[in-house]
Amino acid sequence: MKDLFRGELVRLTSEEPEFRAKHEARWQRDTEFHRLADSDPAEMVSEKKIKDWAEKYAENGFKPERHPFSIRTLSDDKLIGFMGLWLDLIHAEAWVGIGIGEREYWSKGYGTDAMKLAVQFAFMELGLQRVSLGLFDYNPRALRAYEKAGFRLEGRTRQDMLREGKRTDSLWMGILRDEWLQMQGGGS
Amino acid sequence: MNDILNGTLVRLSAVDPEEFSKAFTGWRRDSEFMRLMDSGPVRLGSQKDTQKWIEKDLDEQELHEHSFTIRTLAEDKFIGDIGLYVVNWPGRDAFVGLGIGDRDFWGRGYGTDVMKLILRYGFLEVNLRRVTLTVFEYNPRAVRAYEKAGFRHEGRLRGTLYRDGRRYDELFMGVLRDEWLEQNMECQL
Repeated sequence: MKDLFRGELVRLTSEEPEFRAKHEARWQRDTEFHRLADSDPAEMVSEKKIKDWAEKYAENGFKPERHPFSIRTLSDDKLIGFMGLWLDLIHAEAWVGIGIGEREYWSKGYGTDAMKLAVQFAFMELGLQRVSLGLFDYNPRALRAYEKAGFRLEGRTRQDMLREGKRTDSLWMGILRDEWLQMQGGGS
Repeated sequence: MNDILNGTLVRLSAVDPEEFSKAFTGWRRDSEFMRLMDSGPVRLGSQKDTQKWIEKDLDEQELHEHSFTIRTLAEDKFIGDIGLYVVNWPGRDAFVGLGIGDRDFWGRGYGTDVMKLILRYGFLEVNLRRVTLTVFEYNPRAVRAYEKAGFRHEGRLRGTLYRDGRRYDELFMGVLRDEWLEQNMECQL
């Protein structure tokens, strides 16, 4: 059987809370990263707080509705980001979120590769029927990456955000199990 | 949409720890009932013990647990309980456990009716792919009820039970979503 956690450029990992906190505290100082990843104001959170949160998250661990991952490069084993799947168990659907914190790895296919792994995990391991995601209109790089991973644009909520004094849209994308299977060359 | 919690003889209702523990404390003195319910040695317990256990169970109840009490439609009488526990989300398989503590309602179709209800709930509300149960060889009444509700025989653990100096098998039964939909076309979505 193939290694579900290994792509072409990245692999999905689980990291120690201290290590995660060190990296994630650094990433959040990048307000552009923050604004691409989240609609909340770019707040600063201490490394300790991130570590505590990661530990607490791990404690409740292994809940069937949550699958968090960190992302490392295959070439130099560097931690570059994180992602997670949040499931609606009853309706066999999940929301996926991703953040690549290391700028040198933007626009080079790393996000696409990680997203492909998450979608494969959702359909082949979790048995889901659909994966959903949201992004912001001012993030065309993410839109392209998600399209490459197989997501289709399904709609937008117009001007639901105010960023730097300008109203901007949220976009919503999704991929269905059958579409993904077709992309993989048939089978059921 | 139909009321999916009402059957023809019984309905599914919420678990009230006090009501449940009072009734169950009586039922568990009936060693035959306990032997039909559980493979472990029959144990007695106080109402307080039972209530604490139920309360804790309800507090921790998550999406993979669906517990109900069973009430008759005729007199609104509390006669037992049933629980559906999802054991495998990717496979969407749940284990079902049923106990009718009130002997007046044995062998009269109440168990069949409640099992039909929980299958409808499992397939149409929790969106399961299959439902599994185990039953003891010395409980032919239950086996018949489960067969009537749509379960098929799938296997047995030979001699795993030991009662009154004799070994008995534990039987495995299951029903698949597609089989159930076929038998219940009027409910098909």
